[in-house]
Amino acid sequence: MTWILRSGLAAALMLAAGPAIAHHGWGGQEEAVTTLSGTVVQGVSLAGPHATMKIKVGNDVWDLTLAPPARTASAGLKEGLIPVGATVMVRGNRNLDHNRHEMKCIYIKQGANEYHVYPDRE
Amino acid sequence: MHLAPIFRWLEHSWLGVFTRSLGVWSYGVINLAHIIGITLLFGSILILDLRMLGAWRQVPLAVLSRPTTTMAQIGFVLAVSSGIPMLTVKTTDYIGNPFLLIKFPAIALALINVWLVHRTAAWRAHRQRDLQPAEQRRLAQGAAVSLTFWLTAITSGRMIGYW
Repeated sequence: MTWILRSGLAAALMLAAGPAIAHHGWGGQEEAVTTLSGTVVQGVSLAGPHATMKIKVGNDVWDLTLAPPARTASAGLKEGLIPVGATVMVRGNRNLDHNRHEMKCIYIKQGANEYHVYPDRE
Repeated sequence: MHLAPIFRWLEHSWLGVFTRSLGVWSYGVINLAHIIGITLLFGSILILDLRMLGAWRQVPLAVLSRPTTTMAQIGFVLAVSSGIPMLTVKTTDYIGNPFLLIKFPAIALALINVWLVHRTAAWRAHRQRDLQPAEQRRLAQGAAVSLTFWLTAITSGRMIGYW
């Protein structure tokens, strides 16, 4: 019985180590910072693990992931501040998979308003 | 089976609208409740299953089984009641997420296993008398199945966010 226990524990530890290796967030993003300009199709949402918004660049709709809600809000970016249809300029790290129009945003500018959601990443 | 319409319905349900309106810290707090629920559930199950697999034989199973099953039930209720609102926040984000399709069947199988173990002669007798070797083996099998399914559920659940 002890060998069953020992091997079971070893297997459990290996399973548990998997999640620790995968790092949430920037792991799947490019190192290079990309700048995009587009129109807002879905305004800032402060619900969920990260704030999000969607913008249209050319014919593509981009999923933008911002900082966690509290941090995004403290950067001055609240829900409803940037209306749908507004033109925005964003900087961030796009997904390593270029078929996915997804970007983790560092900075957002709308008109004269600037939001530095991840100032330490610029 | 097309899950997308169900996911859209869940996201637009009153619970989704309500959960999204709770403020910038709400997701983190609900997530915290979910983690506490999982730790209670899995921590208790791990102790009970390892005992049924042969660890700590000096501790009678009858002594361990009640507190661990009670705490696992409390953990399960906490995990479900925080997990459902979390799922409604942005349900459509999970369309095509394979880990969701592993997690929920794994939970269903784990619960079926709980039901099967609890209706064995061995489980029903373990508080009254010492168990025969065959009965101990039956409980050890149930414990091995239990650890497999709960670990699968936890692993795939954690991976949902990394897809």
